[in-house]
Amino acid sequence: MRISSWFLLLAMVALAPCVAAKDKNEQFKTVEAKHFTQAEGVELTPAFSDYFYAELREELKKAKLAHEVIGEGEAVDDADAPDSAIIVGTITEYKKGNVAKAVLIGFTAGWQSLKMDADVQRRSDQHNLCTTIHVHTRIDPRWNEKMMAKVAAREVVKGMKNGL
Amino acid sequence: MHTSSPRTAALSSFVSILLLGFCSCLTADEPKPTPANTISLQLSEPVPAQKFLNPPKFWISDVTDRSGNPQPMLVLKGRGGIFLDRQPTVILREAVEQSLKAAGLLATDANTADLTVRLYIFHFGLAEGSQLDFFGKVEFSAMVKNPKSGESAEVKAAGTSIAKRAVLKNNIQKNVQEDMQESLKDAVRNFLRGQALKDAVAALRKGDDVTPAATPQAYRFSSRGLKKEVVR
Repeated sequence: MRISSWFLLLAMVALAPCVAAKDKNEQFKTVEAKHFTQAEGVELTPAFSDYFYAELREELKKAKLAHEVIGEGEAVDDADAPDSAIIVGTITEYKKGNVAKAVLIGFTAGWQSLKMDADVQRRSDQHNLCTTIHVHTRIDPRWNEKMMAKVAAREVVKGMKNGL
Repeated sequence: MHTSSPRTAALSSFVSILLLGFCSCLTADEPKPTPANTISLQLSEPVPAQKFLNPPKFWISDVTDRSGNPQPMLVLKGRGGIFLDRQPTVILREAVEQSLKAAGLLATDANTADLTVRLYIFHFGLAEGSQLDFFGKVEFSAMVKNPKSGESAEVKAAGTSIAKRAVLKNNIQKNVQEDMQESLKDAVRNFLRGQALKDAVAALRKGDDVTPAATPQAYRFSSRGLKKEVVR
């Protein structure tokens, strides 16, 4: 009985930093993801843009970087604005890929490619909180383009976590 | 010619039987709403609305479905189908009214309202996702009108949610229900807490104390970039 209680105590001591770290992750009161703009020449559907936006918000919720992930265009109290962030970005390049190349050559030849730049800004003064996040995603051309949105959203949040 | 006619008749009857069979197969695949495949959507709790300097009373005058969906209550077609228990217009009206009431912003009737709201639904249901999940999307536009001055402003709102796919039908139904509820909540929140609504209310109530304008104006506010344009 005594040994088991010692084990329990040890486990609690070992897990305490993890629990504390979870709370420490929340760096912002609110974070707002905006629809990414598309550079000239990028041909992606509005459905892709909507899906990427939704996926980015889901990833932000999972990352627990902010107390609240708000929707685009939502008002924030003036008092909370200095502790709030906005994610803005641009899709700079999209290549459709080539199925024939992917099948005949293999080794990632002919894959779809997506490049985007994202900035994390402080809500109150639009000051950049980290260096611009560059994301380059490549997937097989036979896969749905929404899969690329999923991967890209994960990469943006990962870059944000590392940059902050 | 005489010899080919019985053969042609036999061939045509065979083809017609095949077509009939094909049509009956198609109709058999068309899902029908039953209590087992019907889900109910409602907000688990009212969405907290934003604070206004001079809180107006809203009245939802009408909700119109502009999605162009021939089956607005059918959420998912495969696996026997998943249906909504009520029309999207009813669900959205109830969700917005519930939240306005909780915030004390709902008028008792149209005559006592400071601002009347007409809602137009553009999307209510599942949208095309990555095939690994359910992508719920609710998109609507609100025409906020000051009945005294006749001025109006358009406010757009959208809500999205992503839920995991499932294999078992019960789990699919549960996930779709949660996904839709989340996207409905997100859309109502986007509307009630949006900067666009704040700007619209400020613009429409600016001239409440002064005499109404001779020519009514219409404003358009968008959550994306907060563009404001005056439509005469």
